[in-house]
Amino acid sequence: MKAVCWMGKSKVETLTVADPQILNPHDAIIKITRTAICGSDLHLYDGFIPTMEAGDVLGHEFMGIVEETGKAVTNLKRGDRVVVPFTIACGSCAFCKKQLWSACDNTNPNAHLMEAAYGYSGSGLFGYSHMMGGYAGGQAQYARVPFANVGPLKIESDLPDEKVLFLSDIFPTGYMAAENAQIEPGDTVAVWGCGPVGQFAIASAFMLGAGRVIAIDRLPERLQMARSIGAITVDYSEEDVDVLTALKDLTGGMGPDSCIDAVGLEAHSSDLKGLYDSVKVALLLETDRPIVLRQAIQAVRKGGTLSIPGVYGGLLDKVPFGAAFGKGITMKMGQTNMHKYMKPLLNRIQQGQIDPTYIISHRITLDEAPDMYKIWRDKKENVTKIVIDPWATKQAA
Amino acid sequence: MSDALKEKPNAESLPKSNGAAVLIDGHYAPPPADKDGKLWVRTSARIEAEPQQCYDIWRDLENIPSWQEEIVEVRRTGEKTSHWVMRSGDKTIEWDSEILADEPGKRIAWHSIAGDAQNAGEVIFEKAPTGRGAFVTVLQEFRMGKLATAWETLIGRNPKQAVIENLRHLKAMAETGEIPRIEPQPHGQRGTVGEMKKSLYGEKVPVPSGTKERVSA
Repeated sequence: MKAVCWMGKSKVETLTVADPQILNPHDAIIKITRTAICGSDLHLYDGFIPTMEAGDVLGHEFMGIVEETGKAVTNLKRGDRVVVPFTIACGSCAFCKKQLWSACDNTNPNAHLMEAAYGYSGSGLFGYSHMMGGYAGGQAQYARVPFANVGPLKIESDLPDEKVLFLSDIFPTGYMAAENAQIEPGDTVAVWGCGPVGQFAIASAFMLGAGRVIAIDRLPERLQMARSIGAITVDYSEEDVDVLTALKDLTGGMGPDSCIDAVGLEAHSSDLKGLYDSVKVALLLETDRPIVLRQAIQAVRKGGTLSIPGVYGGLLDKVPFGAAFGKGITMKMGQTNMHKYMKPLLNRIQQGQIDPTYIISHRITLDEAPDMYKIWRDKKENVTKIVIDPWATKQAA
Repeated sequence: MSDALKEKPNAESLPKSNGAAVLIDGHYAPPPADKDGKLWVRTSARIEAEPQQCYDIWRDLENIPSWQEEIVEVRRTGEKTSHWVMRSGDKTIEWDSEILADEPGKRIAWHSIAGDAQNAGEVIFEKAPTGRGAFVTVLQEFRMGKLATAWETLIGRNPKQAVIENLRHLKAMAETGEIPRIEPQPHGQRGTVGEMKKSLYGEKVPVPSGTKERVSA
């Protein structure tokens, strides 16, 4: 089959590799009909996530048709259409039972690597480094899906693939970010980063009762998209714009009730603090660039909540923990507990509350994927979301 | 214990001491330190199962190759004795083991009696506090010898880590009926560095089958 492989930092290739096979009784093989490139894939592209290995198949947002099932799979049969969550969960460990699906105990074959770095291992993920399980990803024509009774969400309506594809990661991730923000009716919520997760965090904040959402980014097409669903926008790159001042100006000096960092470890900044982090990362003195995190801790109101869906991987420097303590803020974060959100969010889509396709900017083939990684990383061609048809041979309209 | 604190709605009566010497007189005790050519490992897992179920998996000696790494055969040779075969690449080591204590649902202790390996250990099966599944604790010691050396050089995993991984496999078996694995799976050319890193990622150690049967339908 064809698959998009990580071949080193800033190097991605579409190669012909072996087809996946059933390895365990609860496995299923999915023939992938739609897949996507995630903003977090750019962290892999840029070499920020350790334990990627040349040859690893990328991709963790995918859906398709069940092709084959292992002998213990009872929920699915050949021909079913499913969306696959990017976190793999067993459904029977103590964490799955608590709905902390992304903390599953039994799905990371390389748990020892993550234990060394984080103390304990989270669940395995598709296509996201050996530390996170080493599972081959879904930017491919087929994928092996473990614990198929637990993860894949069956789509029985005639909704087109594109409308449900983002249930595989970014819609639930944006939704959990808004849920973690502990929004009370009428609250003001600030969202850093208006990429796909930020967009769904904005949409979800409104769905969960926010009165005002303030969206912060620098790319005009993303800010426009945020305005299109009702957010106030702040372009931090505009001359004389100071985000903290802007947020005070927009909240009567009180600060947002909740702040959502939908940027994560590769934040950009035009000021000196940004340069400081770039230098430290280059010298391996720091792994992440926590520019947004610092700003959000400063910005949130006293007793407010900071929700962090943006990915952080390692060690952060100069995090103003005194401000966090001094204001008594709550911080909530983590990989998305996918399995908890997929069905309720599918219902919202089916009821017409939201059409997630509004974020799609590019539709491509597998062969075009390597170029698109570069184009997106370099923030060219106004990319917001790239969807791949793994069976298309030339670019669709 | 004084009665200074009377409001402890969910507290269990504190065990004075427990298996594998984690607690002595209500106080935590660290695992024994390595010395004089003896390596110790102590590891524990909380498992969503009854202690008896975990005991049953462990006590089914002939089935041990389905969840312990690199063990290819365990053969009963007597009421309390068994013969163990471990294979890694083209190297094979064999030893005999004797069960010293066997308390169904609670505890198994053993030591090696002959062959290429000198090891001894015990595994304790307890109810976790407030009934939250089982605590399984393994305390094992090795003498440096063919066993430890073979493990370390051939498998790229030291024997301590192997004990930890085996308990992880037991937990996965008890909770899900399978052991997570990724090999063999599709990938592009690994390159030289990738080959070298294979042992780091545990990809040189075949994950035990987790089952005696074929897995596809």
